[in-house]
Amino acid sequence: THDRRSGKTGLNAQQTIGIKMTATRKELDIEFGPINENNVEQLRKINDACFPLTYNDAFYKEVVKRKDENLCKFAYFNGFVIGAICARVEPTQLKEGNPGNSTSKRIYIMTLGVLAAYRGRQVGHKLVQSVLDYYHKHTQSSSTDSTSNDVEDTVHQLSISSERRQELSQVTEILLHVQISNTDAMRFYIDGFQFEKGDMIENYYKRIDPPHCYILLKKLS
Amino acid sequence: MNNHNSNNGNNSTNHQSDNPQAGQGRPMPKKEQDLFKSVVKHYESKQYKKGLKAAESILKKFPKHGETLCMKGLITSYTGSKEDAVNLVKMGLMNDMRSHVCWHVYGLLHRAERNYNEAIKAYKQALRIDSDNLQILRDLSLLQIQMRDLAGFALTRHTILTLKPNQKNNWLSFALAKQLIEDPLGAIQVIDAYIGTLDENSQELDKSYEASELTLYKNYLLSQIPNNLSQAYTHLQQCKENPEKDTIVDLSSYYQQKAYYELQLEKYDTAQQTYTLLFQRGETENHAIHSGYMAALLHIPTHNPMSHTLKGTQTLATTIILTPQQKDTLYQHYHTVLCPSFPRSNAIQRLLLTLLPQGSQELQNAMDTYCRRKIRKGVPSLASDLSALFVIQNTHTSSQNKPYQQHQQHDLIIATAPYSIKLHPTFQILHTLVQSYIHSLESTSTFPNCTKEEPPSTLLWTWFLYSSLLEITQDYKQALIYADKCLEHTPTLVEVYELKGRLLQSAGDISSAAKCLDHGRELDKQDRYINNLTTKCYLMLNQEDTALKRMSLFTRHESDPQQNIFDMQSIWYELDLADCYARKGLWGKSLQKYLAVEKHFEDFHEDQFDFHAYCIRKVTLRSYVQTLQWEDDLWGHDYYRRAAEGIIKIYIHLHEHPWKETQEMETPDYASMTPAERKKAKAMARKQKKKMAKEAEVKSNMNTNVNSNDKSNLNTNANAKKKLPLHHDDPDGIQLMKKDALTEAKKYSATLVKNAPHKYSTWICQYDIAIRRQKMTMALQALFNAKSLDPNGNGLLTRIVDFVGKLSSIMENSSSPEVVKQLWLDGRDALLSNQSLDQYVSHAAEAVLENPLTNLSIRLEVFQSYTSYSICSSYSKMQDPTPILTNGRLDGSGVTVELCKEAIQCLKSSKYSCNDANKTKMEKW
Repeated sequence: THDRRSGKTGLNAQQTIGIKMTATRKELDIEFGPINENNVEQLRKINDACFPLTYNDAFYKEVVKRKDENLCKFAYFNGFVIGAICARVEPTQLKEGNPGNSTSKRIYIMTLGVLAAYRGRQVGHKLVQSVLDYYHKHTQSSSTDSTSNDVEDTVHQLSISSERRQELSQVTEILLHVQISNTDAMRFYIDGFQFEKGDMIENYYKRIDPPHCYILLKKLS
Repeated sequence: MNNHNSNNGNNSTNHQSDNPQAGQGRPMPKKEQDLFKSVVKHYESKQYKKGLKAAESILKKFPKHGETLCMKGLITSYTGSKEDAVNLVKMGLMNDMRSHVCWHVYGLLHRAERNYNEAIKAYKQALRIDSDNLQILRDLSLLQIQMRDLAGFALTRHTILTLKPNQKNNWLSFALAKQLIEDPLGAIQVIDAYIGTLDENSQELDKSYEASELTLYKNYLLSQIPNNLSQAYTHLQQCKENPEKDTIVDLSSYYQQKAYYELQLEKYDTAQQTYTLLFQRGETENHAIHSGYMAALLHIPTHNPMSHTLKGTQTLATTIILTPQQKDTLYQHYHTVLCPSFPRSNAIQRLLLTLLPQGSQELQNAMDTYCRRKIRKGVPSLASDLSALFVIQNTHTSSQNKPYQQHQQHDLIIATAPYSIKLHPTFQILHTLVQSYIHSLESTSTFPNCTKEEPPSTLLWTWFLYSSLLEITQDYKQALIYADKCLEHTPTLVEVYELKGRLLQSAGDISSAAKCLDHGRELDKQDRYINNLTTKCYLMLNQEDTALKRMSLFTRHESDPQQNIFDMQSIWYELDLADCYARKGLWGKSLQKYLAVEKHFEDFHEDQFDFHAYCIRKVTLRSYVQTLQWEDDLWGHDYYRRAAEGIIKIYIHLHEHPWKETQEMETPDYASMTPAERKKAKAMARKQKKKMAKEAEVKSNMNTNVNSNDKSNLNTNANAKKKLPLHHDDPDGIQLMKKDALTEAKKYSATLVKNAPHKYSTWICQYDIAIRRQKMTMALQALFNAKSLDPNGNGLLTRIVDFVGKLSSIMENSSSPEVVKQLWLDGRDALLSNQSLDQYVSHAAEAVLENPLTNLSIRLEVFQSYTSYSICSSYSKMQDPTPILTNGRLDGSGVTVELCKEAIQCLKSSKYSCNDANKTKMEKW
């Protein structure tokens, strides 16, 4: 329940990406890069420019502390940052009266933002896709022979700790909150990644209008 | 010291075999003799403790044995206190004045203390006793080259060579010495003689780096003989003719030297071929080589591309006025030959822009292509790169005999004043181009007349370029608008924060600039460049504490950041900090920082020692000679000059406002306060005193703790203190302020006059000191030199007025002979061009009024002279002299916010009412 509460205080707030789905614009060649204590202020710049609410310092500290460049990363174009995604693995929220598997986990997308000038060029799509790829890669390979997997990991420089691998194997879904007025974002996830629109949570946001949000969710297996 | 040790180590056998007898004439028993030998051995192998022990056991029996005393002193200088060391060595020397060992040690001690002249004397004394001692000769030669006693150096090297002709080093050193005493022919003979001593099959003649360097050095020597280029050229060619004897491996140097000869000897076609070979070797990006190539194409023999007067992207085409035909020849060649051959060369693309006629359609097209490419790529420095294209004719090239003109001036220079840039056809083309880009990109995301869609960053970099161009023309307001557009578009780009910070700074809003830079710095905490920019900006704001915090982010964490900054020889920081302290009136602290810079230069000078032996051994003689030349100019370096001038200014200030001990406590002026305020202030003062006392107590407690706890710790502390110049004992530099101001200032001025006589400001400093010491001849000479270097120089007019004003009273009181006084009067008349002072100043004012583009600093000066001098004037006056200041154009050269502020201040304080229009014009800044 801790996560739920922190969400209310603005920790894992919402999605506002004004993505025009009429993607007639040219795709941008982007690269990913880690977020650390030396460049985290750039994340603040991205978020401040993209979202109507301000994230508190605790959020940025958490991202730095995670040091998880698979789930929290910048998108670079031409050598500078134009967008970022921040996600995390967390325990599945248990609905009242629905005693689920206590060890089940999910990927929660805290923020996804691309600077307005660079939207409609698949940047956001690539960011989300990279998180999904990360999940698939490490869950599928964990079921297969582990030695061949290690080789592949070293090749891709993506070797992850066994704890993280363990954590990922328990993930069953990926989800996020989106302000009910943000149709662009909903279309982005639903059309682009087959997310489903879940329940509406009333008064999820404190300082923005409308204050309600939907849960967008995609089952992973 | 290390150096010395290594030498000793190398030749320890010589040392011993040369002097088996310790204490000449008074031989000790065999046992002690052996002990003494072991002392020397232990010293040379740095086993100081053992050495000391052995020395002491000799001294037990022979307490007055001079050489042992000296050796003990020498070892003590490494392990113990300097004072003890000096006392021991002096005692030893007194006991045995006829020992070369004693004198040698005495010299070594001086050398370690950097008293080189004393050390040389001691070595020479030692050599008088033992003239063939190689070790001493070698030490002496090192000091002689260090002190540039070139004749002495040559002599010593000759002696060494005669004693040990079987060593290569000795031959090369002597050859080098010959060159330094300007006998290149002699040097060549030495090298030839050396090669003559080698076997036909000697390894030294094989193709190797060292052999190659020696050959090229010999060739360089040949070129140093007057009118000998054709011989040098033949020699160079011969080096390559016979593949078996070809030793040259540094082909780049070879070709450049060869091309240089060919140019000078007017073999243009071969020169062109040689340059082409260089290009093919990949040296297409070196503009100096292109400059030579152009000279070959145009058959211009006088051009020396290797001279160091060409900087950055400068070439023949941007420094000499070429006819349109010549330019066209170059362009056609570059366009049709070089471009296709080297399509990936940036420099060649860039050079084309300098070859097309200014303002032509072709140039516009070429710039268009060039800019589009760079904007797409995202090149932050594009505006600065392009600004080098705004070349104009140099109006100051009159070749009057100026005594101290260091460099030959170019016919073309890069425009810097906003008005001349705005008028420049190339700027206008660029301006129009960039505007059309912005228009097209904003509406259709494409460049004009192009259907290809551009990524969003293209518009960003176009705005960036436009803002930078506006910066060059000092239109900061407009430039800031575009910088802000960039920030809104991409707030993560650190370069934009740098640009905006710079703009705010130039526009006079330094505190906003600091904030902006600090903001950008936060984005990338590993970016040292913007961190330094931020530091600089805070220093400008007189916030040295914040500046130190920023600076400390990049110092090593374990030690005191100040010490680390000093160790890194971070001169820019220390100079800015010194300036900052000076602005705050903290003269002592400021002096300390300036002196720290001086210390760095002493270290640079000292660093030479490492090369004297090393370069000979590695045969990098050409570079070594260059290094020596660089060191010769060391005390004229800009950083040194800034420090020296800073010191001089402070000491002049201290001369006029001597520092008093009481100033430090800054007792507030109680008299002017109301009783209540007084009470409050006194209570505050009491509190502060208490606090300070407490702090002092804590400190002393801490010290005693350290004392009792950890002795080794104390030792390291003592070592750290030795390192200087953080002045823990005198943090405010009070001792420095107590020195005799004019004597100190004079010292630095003398150094500048000797080493930077081609700089205008040198003579201004020299004048300021001379006039205060009432040395009228010297002052006069300084003014003449300053005037010849820059007749419109900043601060010259006021000094001429000052000189004339003081002259008569000094003449009355002076006891100088009439001849000298007449000289002063003649000098005065020459300075004023035989006018009266009134006329002179009025003429200056008229000249300023006639030319609205006159530098604002000159205006300010003329205005000040004019108004201050008006009291006793009989010459007809203008009613209102304010136009002197105000009819200038704000886009004239040298207009800065600082100066404008000063000008406004000046206007306000003058008795002339000035019209508001002019005032607002200035305040716009």
